[in-house]
Amino acid sequence: MSAWPLVAALLAVCAGGVLAAALLPRRTAAALVAWFGAPAGLLFVAIGAAGLAQAPQTAELWALPPLGSLAVRLDPLAGFFLLVTGLVVLPVSLYAVSGLKRLAARYDPRGYAVMYFALLAAVAWILLSDDAFSFLVSWEIMSLLVYLLVTYEHERDTTRRAAYLMLGISEAGALAAALGLLLLAARAGSLQFSDMRGSAGVLAGGVRTAVFLLTFFGFGVKAGLVPVNVWLPAAYTSAPAAFVPLLAGATLNLGLYGIVRVNADLAPPVSVTPGLLAVVVGTASALVGILYATTDNDLKTLLAHSSIENAGIITAGLGAGFVFAAADRPALAAMAFLVGLYHLLNHALYKTLLFVGVGGVDDGARTRDLDRLGGLIRRMPWTALAMLAGVLSIAALPPFNGFVSEWLTLQTFLRSAELPSVGARIVFALCGAGLALTAALAVTCFVKLFAMGFLGVPRTREAADARESPRSTLAPMALLAALCLLLGVLPTYVIPALDRAVAPLAHSSATAALVPPFFTGSPGHDSLPAPFVAEFHDLGAQVGQRLLPGPGLVLMHRGGNANPVVFAGSPAYLLPVLAGLLALTFLVARLPARRRTLARRIAWDGGIRHLLPEMTYTATGFSNPVRVIFQALFRPTIAEDTPDTVAEHFRTAIVRETASVHLLERLVLVPAAATAFALARLLARIHHGLLNAYVAYALGALLVMLVVARVL
Amino acid sequence: MTQWVVKGLATGVRTTSYPDAADHAAGVTSGRPVGGTYPAAERAALIARCPTGALTERDGAVAVDYTRCVHAYRCARQVATPLAWSHDYEWATTVGAADPRRTLDAPFARSAHIIVVDAGDCGACLHEVKQLNSPFYNMHRLGFFLTPTPRHADILLVVGPVTDHMRDALRKTYEAMPTPKRVLAVGTCALSGGVFGPSFVSGAGVADLLPVDVAVPGNPPPPLAILHALLVAVGRAEPAPALLAAEAAAR
Amino acid sequence: MNRTEVRQLAAAQSDVTVRDGAAGVLELECGPGALAALCGRVFGEWGYNFAGLVVEEAAAWELRYLFYGDAAAGWLHVVLHAPLEEPRVPSIAAVVHAADWHEREAEDLYGLTFEGHPRLGDFVLHDDAWQEGVQPMRHGFSAAAALEHRRPNPAWRPRRIVRARGSFIMPVGPVFGALAESAHYQLETVGEDVIRAYPRLFYKYRGIEKLAEGQSLARGLLLAERFAATTAFAHALAFSQAVERICGAVVPARAQVLRVFLAELERLRHHIGAIEGICESTALAVAASQASILEEELLRVSGALTGHRYLFGLATPGGLTTDLEDTACADALRSCRSVLAEMNRLWEMLRLTSSFMDRIEEVGFIRESDARNHGLVGPIARASGIARDLRALLPYDAYGKLAFFPALEREGDGYARMRVLFAESRQCVSLMDQAFAALEPGPVAVSVAPRAGAALGAVEAPRGAAFHWVHLDDAGLVARYRIVPPSFTNWHGFHLAVENFAFQDFPIILSTLDLSVAENDR
Repeated sequence: MSAWPLVAALLAVCAGGVLAAALLPRRTAAALVAWFGAPAGLLFVAIGAAGLAQAPQTAELWALPPLGSLAVRLDPLAGFFLLVTGLVVLPVSLYAVSGLKRLAARYDPRGYAVMYFALLAAVAWILLSDDAFSFLVSWEIMSLLVYLLVTYEHERDTTRRAAYLMLGISEAGALAAALGLLLLAARAGSLQFSDMRGSAGVLAGGVRTAVFLLTFFGFGVKAGLVPVNVWLPAAYTSAPAAFVPLLAGATLNLGLYGIVRVNADLAPPVSVTPGLLAVVVGTASALVGILYATTDNDLKTLLAHSSIENAGIITAGLGAGFVFAAADRPALAAMAFLVGLYHLLNHALYKTLLFVGVGGVDDGARTRDLDRLGGLIRRMPWTALAMLAGVLSIAALPPFNGFVSEWLTLQTFLRSAELPSVGARIVFALCGAGLALTAALAVTCFVKLFAMGFLGVPRTREAADARESPRSTLAPMALLAALCLLLGVLPTYVIPALDRAVAPLAHSSATAALVPPFFTGSPGHDSLPAPFVAEFHDLGAQVGQRLLPGPGLVLMHRGGNANPVVFAGSPAYLLPVLAGLLALTFLVARLPARRRTLARRIAWDGGIRHLLPEMTYTATGFSNPVRVIFQALFRPTIAEDTPDTVAEHFRTAIVRETASVHLLERLVLVPAAATAFALARLLARIHHGLLNAYVAYALGALLVMLVVARVL
Repeated sequence: MTQWVVKGLATGVRTTSYPDAADHAAGVTSGRPVGGTYPAAERAALIARCPTGALTERDGAVAVDYTRCVHAYRCARQVATPLAWSHDYEWATTVGAADPRRTLDAPFARSAHIIVVDAGDCGACLHEVKQLNSPFYNMHRLGFFLTPTPRHADILLVVGPVTDHMRDALRKTYEAMPTPKRVLAVGTCALSGGVFGPSFVSGAGVADLLPVDVAVPGNPPPPLAILHALLVAVGRAEPAPALLAAEAAAR
Repeated sequence: MNRTEVRQLAAAQSDVTVRDGAAGVLELECGPGALAALCGRVFGEWGYNFAGLVVEEAAAWELRYLFYGDAAAGWLHVVLHAPLEEPRVPSIAAVVHAADWHEREAEDLYGLTFEGHPRLGDFVLHDDAWQEGVQPMRHGFSAAAALEHRRPNPAWRPRRIVRARGSFIMPVGPVFGALAESAHYQLETVGEDVIRAYPRLFYKYRGIEKLAEGQSLARGLLLAERFAATTAFAHALAFSQAVERICGAVVPARAQVLRVFLAELERLRHHIGAIEGICESTALAVAASQASILEEELLRVSGALTGHRYLFGLATPGGLTTDLEDTACADALRSCRSVLAEMNRLWEMLRLTSSFMDRIEEVGFIRESDARNHGLVGPIARASGIARDLRALLPYDAYGKLAFFPALEREGDGYARMRVLFAESRQCVSLMDQAFAALEPGPVAVSVAPRAGAALGAVEAPRGAAFHWVHLDDAGLVARYRIVPPSFTNWHGFHLAVENFAFQDFPIILSTLDLSVAENDR
């Protein structure tokens, strides 16, 4: 079945949205975003599903002689990314109804709506592009629209600066990515992706490395990888509340799409080094991201750093895939790619959920500072419940989806024993440990978020008077929370779907490695070796057969004939067990063995007269141990002063100011800026304003060019 | 670290034989005065000597109200006819008539958790309670444990006359304890205010605020007396004869 | 500086009248304008130490600032009078920081206003629980009247000094730990270390000074003994000393020697208890058990020797209430020697336990200058380089005839304080030995006829210098009883040790400081 009518419908909806937003009055703009954005999201999902389910389809749009033909192609990989985008666009569009309220008070929401739909169309074009020209053009359009949308609340100085930095680094990244693609195009002789795919084998080693580095760091800008993600925290914090979920859930994925498309599809690596670099960069991003998230108190900035962390985990998984592919282990490569993409899907879902929730908290409690929140679970119970689902997912706790992808990521890293070189194994071991540390810190970070924000006593008047979020915020959160739970409980159904995107890249099926057909009668069951089948029975894998005839509910890893079952687990069985234990505890507690009375007593506070909010832990206090342990990274400057001290002994105030500059700003931005300024100062020497000199420059340049043209 | 293990083993067992057998070691209890029959003049003189009014006349004899005796020794020193002195330590009584529900039920007999609240004591009673953890008395072997939180406590042990500022804290501690719970008032101050109360800032004992189940007089009661009180509270020892009953009823 | 030099310097001050008070005390009466300058000079330049402030309400307010030097310099009282209707006096807390809490206590209990003191109120009588305008120490206020119990004030807020991002108050107590005395601590922090520690004491305020007014000497002695019973003998001794000075009684030689013997026994027992507290706080269970064995042994020795484990009912004005047999004293001394031998063994083992030493070394610093400014006393001052011990400075009873060298350390950390405790314990047994050798048969008490007058008893209690000011009226009853216990002085400097260290060090530093809440709260 052709998916192109769906694509046309999507474009029509976007165009309709643009027109309607431009023509209809201001107050309808937010509703229009929802009315047109929701169908757009559903269409994204439909197109994605079609792409995943079917064989690749190509359509040629234009033939421009110098640039070759502009084509679009819907293959499973693009289908997967379209599906993810759709799952994000749908709730974000619904959220816009309440999310744009604060923006609409000061600025004109019509411009926002117009650019929003244009952005959706641009994203669709990026994912469907089949040649370098349309890819780069759509990428630039996307970058520009993202910049304009981030800087929408332009009257604030910080917003303008953050967006400008983002634009600068994005453009630099786009330039690098363009260079990489053009290098590939030069070798292939045409701008078509299909030609590049074919000629990948003849790429020289140096060119291949250059392509990898350029595209990895070029696309890594949008993906939020160290060291090019300096812009990300500030930009996410300053972006409008209605737009940030899309930033984190959709545009971040585009960077990763670019990396995967070029380095797994068009020009797969032949040596393990690029993959190892990806693993290291991913782990570093994850660590830096989670460290700054744990010690940050602004909810939006915290989630921004956490996005960096998750992008790092995804990249590490993809990097492992590159390594395994280059080391000729296709089954493991398939597993690694699948794990990376699964985490990408999960991250899109729970990060969107969290950002929408934070927007709701910001609206309801008028503040985003964790040190000023508290006790919101009583005032905003539904928001709290949905946020709890998001927090459990991002902290990788079962039965939610984060658990599955983190667990599988760590399991993939444990497979490093099958790598040939010792160096690769060491890198994998160290990075695996780094990822484990990241997971632990993530739990700390999100316990802090939920406990300080929602539990305890309200710390300020605003928190005490918080209003529950409106339905337009709660509905998308409920949808996303349900999806998080579903994807966590039924991974064995998700994996075959993802496998369709992964198999062409790794030339092997991940399903066979992770969800083998262990029910008798399932296709492929007979080809399994006997010891493997025996282990199934030991693990009770047959239990699910009568309940759900299908792929079964147990995730396993087949390690080959020598090691039939490397690991096995079933999040699906875990859910009823957990629920059963909870129910059992509840029953036992309620069971009247003797006449029991329920007494409500005071909270034990050591017998003090009043337990005040200023006597409860703050978010800063909770995360202080992390700040202290990793002091060498944070390098804070602490200034302590006792002003107004009367007569040297009576202190009226002790002022302690802590300031710290972000690690990457110190290591990357400041040196880069310093170098740029130094270069500019050097070059400024020739700007002395003498007309004669400028004419001489022009003459000199002409002479040089003639010589060069003659020589070459 | 091994040196500590060796040291501990070399020290041997120092634990008292109580409650299996009486402990008569010197200095293990300060004892207390016992009443007796005296001629009228000396009787009056003795009764006047007591600074807290613990000595009264009953049926022609000098009787001692242990809820008021603070070991001032004025009845035993620098007097012509000093009062006789006992050297026992099993002083705890259950307040009021012997009520079987005053003690904790069977499950607590071998494992009871105690929270100690200092409601303004002078330091001696608290110090004696602290001695219960020393190898000499070792209350752990009898199944008594100290806990810092009332949520885990079965027994509330109060020392001090209950100063004004500690009233709320003490009441909160009691209310935060789950049932079943028992209150132990330890020391003369906790029974009658001792030398401090009642006054503008100090109470007349714990009974004004909380229902007291077991009372231990003494200033301070020696650790063995407190141990006896704990055993009474969990029903493993017999309380002393109700020496306080007449006084309590009269007040 | 000796007395004559001080007298000359004092006479040279403006607005100061020099008088010779009772018992060799030099009294300087001055006006309100000259008070702060004079006190600053006495404390800073002339090298006196500040003992306390006594407020008496008579025909006019009499504020008596007590200063003491060594035996040559003696006692110096700065006296200020103010009319009863005008209870405003200047504050000297800026120049004599040790007077800070004395002025706050006087403000709370008497209603005096000390001008220039930046932080009055909410001290003894907690603002969130006490009615306004109640001044319990005033004559018109009856000690027996029970005040209607107040509901906690819901609008009360703690005073916060730290201004840092994310700072909050960690409240500890008043009911906390398993066997801790009731006190409330407000630790301002940003999460790891304590930036500012503020102790909210007087939860155990029993109004001892008020209860003693109008009572007989016997009752006063009872209160003196009972308010801080773990060092009962020392406080009873100080009270008795004050009364003996008023009435001109001379304690017989045997009683003087026995008093030394018993005081050192109490000191030894107290110190081993403090060491047990330090071992307990660092969770070194075997060491704590060993120390508590020794402490219980000493308690039993005390009980066997005197009849009461805490030496109640022994000290009395004029001597002791009962004589002790020489053989009993010899037995007690033998037990103390064996306890000391065990203590020395314990010391050797503790020094080699690195996990223990790590917790108390380099924690809880009190600098010498801070200790001097705050007027700290006792073992914790001697661990910070302040060699002040009343037994050597102003000897009383038989101390003047015995050889004795105060322990002194300079570092001011927890380890230094522990070293001082062990050194003083060795001194205790040495003093007991000397006292026993000096024991002669004789009476142990003289009769004391109470008469009007006022005097100060100064005794080196186990925790530091304790001062008891007793003023008897014509009927021989107590008109005013002022106690300055060592814990009151030292609690003032508690924050010096605890601030800028982590939470985890808080209980350990507290145990090395060995402060008593009962003693402070009276």
